[in-house]
Amino acid sequence: MVVAEAVVILLAVYALLGLLFAVAFVTCGVQRLDPAARPAPWGFRLLILPGSAALWPLLLLRWWGSTKGGASS
Amino acid sequence: MSAGYVAVQWNPYKRRYDAFVCGAVVLYLGMFGFVGKLLFRGEHALSDEVLALRALGSCAFLMLSVVLCIGPAARLDRRLLPILYNRRHLGVATFLVAALHGALALGYYHGFGRINPLLSLLTTNTSFTSLRAFPFQLPGAAALLILFLMAATSHDFWNRNLSARLWKWLHMLVYPAYGLVVMHVALGALQAQRTWWLAALVCACAATVTTLHLVAGSRERAADRGRTSMIEADATAWLEVGRVDEIPPDRARIACAPGGERIAVFRYDGRISAISNVCAHQGGPLGEGKVVDGCVTCPWHGWQYRPADGQAPPPFTERVATFRVRVDGRRVLVDPNALPPGTPVEPAFVEESCDA
Ligand code: HEM
Ligand code: FES
Repeated sequence: MVVAEAVVILLAVYALLGLLFAVAFVTCGVQRLDPAARPAPWGFRLLILPGSAALWPLLLLRWWGSTKGGASS
Repeated sequence: MSAGYVAVQWNPYKRRYDAFVCGAVVLYLGMFGFVGKLLFRGEHALSDEVLALRALGSCAFLMLSVVLCIGPAARLDRRLLPILYNRRHLGVATFLVAALHGALALGYYHGFGRINPLLSLLTTNTSFTSLRAFPFQLPGAAALLILFLMAATSHDFWNRNLSARLWKWLHMLVYPAYGLVVMHVALGALQAQRTWWLAALVCACAATVTTLHLVAGSRERAADRGRTSMIEADATAWLEVGRVDEIPPDRARIACAPGGERIAVFRYDGRISAISNVCAHQGGPLGEGKVVDGCVTCPWHGWQYRPADGQAPPPFTERVATFRVRVDGRRVLVDPNALPPGTPVEPAFVEESCDA
């Protein structure tokens, strides 16, 4: 029961952080990661929102990497 | 392709495909409800929720089975290629139907208590060692999670940005997901309801999916063996592809290099060119596609490449490997050493009149 409770709380925290991250990512992160997304319409941004919320740790690392790379070049 | 993203790359064909899928799902759910009300009456009557749960669950299972059958079936019979072409939308639709089923189950069986429905799903039943009372909903939930990840990453953006390997790995999870769903139904509904039609449906679908994969796989291996014959000349071991007349106009023959790499050898406009058989998008079999408007067109999602240099026409930037070709008499030969993607190669010229 305790383990299950912890799993559910962790899931909820992960999903909540993911959602917050995803909103930021689809508005200003995507075009840094992939220049082809610069002129992308809102429909596209909305479609990649669920995936961004699910895979946010991975994207956060990439986004971070791209800002560092951008600053040094 | 990828010169800027759009939400969905619709075309008239895809619209018709999607409309058909939507129509079929609505028709199935409606029929299920209608027949269910007719069959289960009086004291056996089912509540609307249970009927909807069963209709959505069996619909998702059928759709997932079709999604898995399309690939090997189209290999065995090219007339099915049009169904393969928009399989991605069918996959997303499958997730949506399965998600409705899962949400309904969570709400109906776990939503009325005081504890959180997810917590209830995890803790209500923990008889993992019993086959008869196994918590069958957990494999269903795991399958739903996989279907979600696949649907959420199905846009081309993910294919390009997750790296091809990770994306492929993620989408190969559809096979474990199918196994989990079979487990979900076998340990749940099949034990509880003991209805013959559900058992027949599950067995027939699982058997079809497995058989098609085995048959298509063994045909492909046999074809690879039959295709290869090496000819040594000018220090290059040329691979014999077959006779010119064996390649239909604007189509390809697929050769298999000694290392296992497949090469698509196209005949078009009195010329022969060879490019990699693997599409830069999601690895679709280019050699099963056609030359349309002078470009090799992938049968899966329609990406295009010029046969003579493996490059997508501008403004697109994708490239695939090319191969040197030669025609000796009427025999077509290809150098199995791949050139870097996008390398222009002089096509071999053939007389078109011979077999007109
Ligand atoms: C969170 C995820 C899921 C939950 C909680 C869940 C729950 C349930 C429940 C409670 C039943 C009823 C069993 C019975 O009538 O005895 C059921 C049946 C079924 N489920 Fe699921 N399920 C989930 C995911 C899935 C998925 C992803 C699929 C398929 C893609 C699926 C396919 C089915 C099928 C085919 C049935 C049998 C329907 C019938 O009785 O005609 N389920 N599920
Ligand atoms: S177009 Fe998608 S795999 Fe070729």
